[in-house]
Amino acid sequence: MSHEDIFELVPLYALDALDGDEQAEVEAHVGHCDECAQELSRHRAVAATFTADETAPTGVWERIVAEIESGVTVAEPTDIDSAHRRGSRSPLWMTAVAAALALVLGVVTVVQRQELAEMAGPQGIIAAAEDAAATPGAIVGDFTTESGVVGRVILTPDGEGYILPTDLEPLPSDRTYQLWVITSDEVVISAGVLGNDPGPARFTWTGEVAGFALTREVAGGVMSSAGDVVSVVET
Amino acid sequence: MGAVNRHDADLATGVARGERQALAALFENYSGVVKSVAFRVLRDEALAEDVVQDTFVTFWKAPHRFDPDRGSLRTYLLTIAHRRAVDIVRSEESRSRRQLLPPDPHHFDVEDEVWTRSLGDHVRDALSQLAEGEREAIAMAYFAGLSYVEVARRLGVPEGTIKSRIRSGMRKLASTLEEVAS
Repeated sequence: MSHEDIFELVPLYALDALDGDEQAEVEAHVGHCDECAQELSRHRAVAATFTADETAPTGVWERIVAEIESGVTVAEPTDIDSAHRRGSRSPLWMTAVAAALALVLGVVTVVQRQELAEMAGPQGIIAAAEDAAATPGAIVGDFTTESGVVGRVILTPDGEGYILPTDLEPLPSDRTYQLWVITSDEVVISAGVLGNDPGPARFTWTGEVAGFALTREVAGGVMSSAGDVVSVVET
Repeated sequence: MGAVNRHDADLATGVARGERQALAALFENYSGVVKSVAFRVLRDEALAEDVVQDTFVTFWKAPHRFDPDRGSLRTYLLTIAHRRAVDIVRSEESRSRRQLLPPDPHHFDVEDEVWTRSLGDHVRDALSQLAEGEREAIAMAYFAGLSYVEVARRLGVPEGTIKSRIRSGMRKLASTLEEVAS
């Protein structure tokens, strides 16, 4: 779509009235187009007037505190997000994943493409993941270790991805699980930081996929994997 | 945009420093309106409270994503919450949990009235200047979490018509509200 086409869709995007490719295109475009970003700000400000203030709900703050303290939620490292915003690509070695895949990666590139911060509640994510797994052409793979299956990854042809941990050992609070996409071009891309005791989460990825890797990293996530690979799924 | 509430800016900075009391203050200020928007979309108390939780935890985890030059913190939090609610409402599971049929156009005759009654005078005035079709399309998209394609299908009108109605209505509202603000 042209800039003009996207500009016309911005009011609809501000209402979350787009989906699929149109939503993705507008989302990507406003990330680097000041004119459309300004227009989006105007319309989001309008949408924010549609709801009147009410009193705070009871009991939810306690749940928020518990969730923050548990570290269960999907986290997003600042440094990776900044790289993503700039669209930068940082070269590095990721030898352990390379070995696991039996690929000669050489210098590979890790790019933060999408974070796993899009949450809709665990049950909603699981339900959506089940639907996604039933989509024709969807990739469904299990991360396995010596103890068996520890998680499932799902990616639809439309780029809708899910990670469903099933039996991952909780890590200390200074460690985190991190999900990586390995492309057919032998590029390894961080799909998101999962936290030290992850629950179901979603991610998006469009493009060819040769596999997925699950690693253990320092809390907050890394640009360059230390190579502590939990499991690899080849597609 | 860029009208920054100084108090909010300080609280956002506090959250970025990991100060939980700053998040608590934001929760006190905005969790009500966040729940309100989620409930209007989901019509389910428990799911709406899940959205409140997700919204504030998301902000806690990534406060740097809030750009005060792009709007207020209230708007930012409502944007997160609305997207979450829409994600849920478009999932089959939530439809079964809510045990409600997707709203039909006639529902909005009443819904629209309730909606506008709860708003401030300037917003209500701005809405009154819209054509009925514009109000209806905007309300169905925003409060039922419907895509414009789905709105068009339910109203039995071309998709292009709904796109135009939403676009023109939102632009009128933006202009009117900006005039009021200035």
